[in-house]
Amino acid sequence: MDNASFQFVGFGLAVALISNFSRSPVWRSAVLLVASLIFIGLVERNPLALLPMAGFLLLGYGCLLLIERGWSRSLAWVLVAVIFVYIWLKKYTFLPEGSFLHYSYFVLGLSYIFFRVLHLLIEAADRTERRHIGIGAYLTYTINFTTLVSGPIQRYDKFAQDQFAVEPIPLGPRVMGSQLERIIRGFFKVNVLAMLFNMVRVDAFAQLSQPLPVSFKLYAAFRLAVVFPLFLYCNFSGYIDIVIALARLMRIRLPENFDRPFAAPSFIDFWNRWHITLSTWLKTYVYNPLLVVLMRRISSPALQPLLGTLALFVAFFLIGLWHGRTSEFIFFGILQGGGVALNKLWQMGLAGTLGTKRYRGLAKNPLYIAFSRGLTFSWFAFTLFWFWSDWGQIDSDYHSIGRLNWSAVWLAVWLSSTVVLALWEWLRAVLLSIRTSEGPILVSRYALVVYASALGLISLVVTVLLNQPAPGIVYKAF
Amino acid sequence: MTSKNGFDPGYEREAKLPRRDWVLLPVLCLATICLLAGSVEFGARRMFKKLDAAGQDCLTLDYASAWVRGIPNCKVWEKIPEGELTEYRFNSSGYRNNFDFGPKSPDTYRIVMIGTSMAAGFRVPEQQTFGALLPAELSRRTGRKVELYNEALPWRVSSSLQRYFNETIATNPDLILWILMPSDIENPSWVHRDGVNPLSQRAGVWHRIRAALATGSFRSSIAAIFIQSRTATLLRILLYASPSQYVKSALHEGDYKTEFLKSEPSPEWQKDLSGFKSNAANIEGQASKAGIPLVAVLLPDRKQAAMISLMGDWPRGFDPYKLDNDLRAIISNHGGTYIDILPDFRAIPNPQLDYFAIDGHLNPKGHAMINRLLSEKLTNGAVAGLTASGQKRIGSETGQ
Repeated sequence: MDNASFQFVGFGLAVALISNFSRSPVWRSAVLLVASLIFIGLVERNPLALLPMAGFLLLGYGCLLLIERGWSRSLAWVLVAVIFVYIWLKKYTFLPEGSFLHYSYFVLGLSYIFFRVLHLLIEAADRTERRHIGIGAYLTYTINFTTLVSGPIQRYDKFAQDQFAVEPIPLGPRVMGSQLERIIRGFFKVNVLAMLFNMVRVDAFAQLSQPLPVSFKLYAAFRLAVVFPLFLYCNFSGYIDIVIALARLMRIRLPENFDRPFAAPSFIDFWNRWHITLSTWLKTYVYNPLLVVLMRRISSPALQPLLGTLALFVAFFLIGLWHGRTSEFIFFGILQGGGVALNKLWQMGLAGTLGTKRYRGLAKNPLYIAFSRGLTFSWFAFTLFWFWSDWGQIDSDYHSIGRLNWSAVWLAVWLSSTVVLALWEWLRAVLLSIRTSEGPILVSRYALVVYASALGLISLVVTVLLNQPAPGIVYKAF
Repeated sequence: MTSKNGFDPGYEREAKLPRRDWVLLPVLCLATICLLAGSVEFGARRMFKKLDAAGQDCLTLDYASAWVRGIPNCKVWEKIPEGELTEYRFNSSGYRNNFDFGPKSPDTYRIVMIGTSMAAGFRVPEQQTFGALLPAELSRRTGRKVELYNEALPWRVSSSLQRYFNETIATNPDLILWILMPSDIENPSWVHRDGVNPLSQRAGVWHRIRAALATGSFRSSIAAIFIQSRTATLLRILLYASPSQYVKSALHEGDYKTEFLKSEPSPEWQKDLSGFKSNAANIEGQASKAGIPLVAVLLPDRKQAAMISLMGDWPRGFDPYKLDNDLRAIISNHGGTYIDILPDFRAIPNPQLDYFAIDGHLNPKGHAMINRLLSEKLTNGAVAGLTASGQKRIGSETGQ
């Protein structure tokens, strides 16, 4: 149930159907809350295992009540308490081992609940007019089964706007059709494309360990480097496609989490397109406040661009750190923050050297964009080694072909991704330029029906043939 | 708490769907599915042609008395979907050799190979089987004339081999080479575990669909029907090219055919293994009594080879080397020589591609690989008549 399986899609569609029996916000909210509780119950059958999660939710709600009742000056302490309990429940390794609960308990979606709870607390403290969020609304928002497992992280006001509206957003045949197409597309991405990419990755990883000639290993290293970002994208964005579409069928609009990330011409832009709701959350609650504090303390105008870079580094370092509890993820965070910071420094340096006008001209140059896009992809692929493997595996991979060969592999990754992504963008532009009066043919409802039917058939055939459990969603582990 | 959505820019009345689309869109959906499914099946049928005849047509099998023989001088053509057109020609003794067995000339080292279908080279033209390639390779390596009688036949597993062992000894070999497969242990009574006569398994489409519907759940029935299509053949060949995917699929099925890969096999498997142990003792005893050395070797099946190439990255509770270790102990304890080729599969890129993806037998590339591995192992000192002096001779001939 906690992956992109037939069961999950069937469950979501059934909930959407029941939810639409009445337009009343009370009915729809009750259906969503009950469905979310059933969902959790289906994933975790042991009620005792749910107690820590329930405790965290109660702590969050208690803190929210305190702030709503005028204790907003204690926000900092409240935040520290919530963050500490989250870290403790997630068993971050810098806390003493003896302090943890020594039994297996349910933490699925805890990270996403954590972000929602912090958002509610900060917004409650910032609000000038008083607002009360009832326990029902709080739970419906925090444990919404469509966003529980892997996000997206939705703002409460946007959620409430759709969920508690007297007149819910319309749901006609066109919207239903496009959402069904999106569910099929998401299912195909997770169950077929991601499965294929993962297959290539596992095989390549094994070949790097085999006693094979170096030519085999070079090719394996190339595949290993290239394929994981594609796997992760299909796995994560496919699941997000499914949950966004299911929520829309329940008349809730979830925020988009991806916007063609591999089209990004810079690493900063990449993070505007990848896991958008997470990076937006961190920009809102880490980058902006941190920058304001830094600029208040250091007023020198010459240093302000560097302060912005530092704030960027911290925000994106935290993104890396959020993914896991080990030193690999600390390094992953350094590489994310370092990539964004270096990108910013490069932009500032180039603008300073060439002048703003010439720099803007260069940034629009198709060749410059193509190479930057390739570099962005390659850097992300490089950082992901600390995402999916541990130091031991990285060391073994490194020694399997040596430094010089790895340099050649990364150069090949950069050049090939530059060419392939440029061709992809060109092809997409050409196809989208074929239009009728209603818009591009490629996104017309007729084209969508054709390829949804084809993707649906392929997904069904592959799923039936392989007869395996649906692949897990990588981001549910965080 | 509640609000109207009227202010929301995304809140727009949906344009009505034109009436013709209520017909057109479902028709488009159905047409796409039919066209895609039909064209892929048509293409796959062109790509993977199949003949109704099979190598098994040259076998006679008596279900009641556990007896399998090749029909002398039988000739048949076979074409499995993933293989090439293959001729089966049996000699006057009823074995798949392109020559008749005769008396041994004094300067010839004679090997008799026993085993099942993999050793008999089923699905592959006879001249490409390792049984046909091995004599030339051994002769080249040892510098002496080596000939090989291939007395392997499908379903001649350890229990039925004992019945024919007198024939093997009567050919007066210098060495008996016993090619073992995991199925030799799984299937000691040489008939499939479901009790169905293996020669009667070719049946009409309707029969197969009815059998599929009887398999259990709706999902498994659909899968069992779909698996009969040539589209399924195409997809399995593509997907099973990946060792990790193939291993995942093969182990997920969890049937008896994966039992030999488990670190702790079931009591049923242990019982089969002890049955094999007593059969092996009997066969080795007969060979020893006749003064003929016996060498046994385990050929991994496709999933086992794929697992080995994954270098330990296989699911917990499995061990592709377990059976190898068990067989080494069994064969060595009864005086035979055991040749271990499994570790060599670690240095072979994608070894599962050396087997037919669906049929599971070795393909021509696989036979060439086994020929190389066997000839290396047989001439590296493991077998007295094929070693040291032979190796020196090769060395002196090549000036090394």
